[in-house]
Amino acid sequence: MEEPKVELDDLEVNQERLKLNTNQLKNLRVYGSLNAGMIAGILGMDGWIGIGIYVAIFLIVSACLAIKMNFRVKEYFKSSYDAYYSGIGTDLLLFLMIWVIFHNLVNIL
Amino acid sequence: MSDILIDDRIRDWVFLPIIIVMFMIQMFRGLLTKYMDNKKTSQKVTSKAQVSEMIDKNITQQSQRLARLHGLLPDHSFKMKRAHLCDNKSGILTKASEKPAKDPMQSMSMMNPAAMADMLKQNLSGIVFMALQYQWVSYFFSGFVIGKVPFPLTQKFRTMLQRGVDVQNLDVRYISSISIYFVLLFGGLQKIQQLMFGDDTDEFVDDTQMQMQMQMMGMPAMPSFGQQNDPGKLFIAERTRLEGVKHTFELNKSQDKAIKSLKRFLIQ
Repeated sequence: MEEPKVELDDLEVNQERLKLNTNQLKNLRVYGSLNAGMIAGILGMDGWIGIGIYVAIFLIVSACLAIKMNFRVKEYFKSSYDAYYSGIGTDLLLFLMIWVIFHNLVNIL
Repeated sequence: MSDILIDDRIRDWVFLPIIIVMFMIQMFRGLLTKYMDNKKTSQKVTSKAQVSEMIDKNITQQSQRLARLHGLLPDHSFKMKRAHLCDNKSGILTKASEKPAKDPMQSMSMMNPAAMADMLKQNLSGIVFMALQYQWVSYFFSGFVIGKVPFPLTQKFRTMLQRGVDVQNLDVRYISSISIYFVLLFGGLQKIQQLMFGDDTDEFVDDTQMQMQMQMMGMPAMPSFGQQNDPGKLFIAERTRLEGVKHTFELNKSQDKAIKSLKRFLIQ
């Protein structure tokens, strides 16, 4: 995973590198929600437990990101909220779609 | 309610084909949009009204760029550029702000050929495919149950999810094929396509999402191609913004910044 450094000095942020970082983070989150959907579908989870799996994998992705950055969030993103927690609702629909598909393929059909 | 077991053949001939076909159509739309974008040649500016619009647009762009990047210019250069734009008698912005307000109807008709072609292309690669898929799915695959959603839902969703299936007491979890269509549509085949195409299609995704939202709200309300009903106000605003800019040449601060960064780097 390639994340070029963004130096934060006197409110000056390198915009292009920040954009690269956020794009990479968006890709990572999509992969995360795909995996979460597959896990929830194949294991046959039901209802709220499934959504719990989505949140859990989301937080695991954020934790891996933190370890990769050596916990120095300011150098890579604007704020820790941005990097760890912000996009949780946007990939929820994707997770639902993958969950429904795999749940049906494996358990019912 | 005990579990319903669904025949294998439904999976082979209904479930998987719907997913595969929708995915392919999505890919095809992506390629189509790319092709259309490549074919789009720049249009010649022919009428006088269009020329004056282009001039206005260029003036605003120039003043905005100056306001944004003023730190890159040394003092005298910035003052010269600002005077060229904002001077009380001969500045471009002052002259432009005295123009009369444009007639909105007239300017819409001037832009129509280009606008119509653009909207036609957007509609083609948007709504037509959606309607086509909906018709296809609801014609061929209606009247039976396809699968089950993993989460509990209220009775209100019954009409939406079980269209064509008339069994009253059937659990709302069992869904018909059209609901798979909706799940795929909203769930984001676009995102998966984005993963596969890489970063090229970033603009593409934004466009289709935006136009889908626009078309769901009904008629897109006069998309403004940068027209303003009153260009004078815009220029006056730009002028006040430029005159209020506190200009500092960034090179003067660069030594201090370099010292700070190096210190931080060496300390670590």
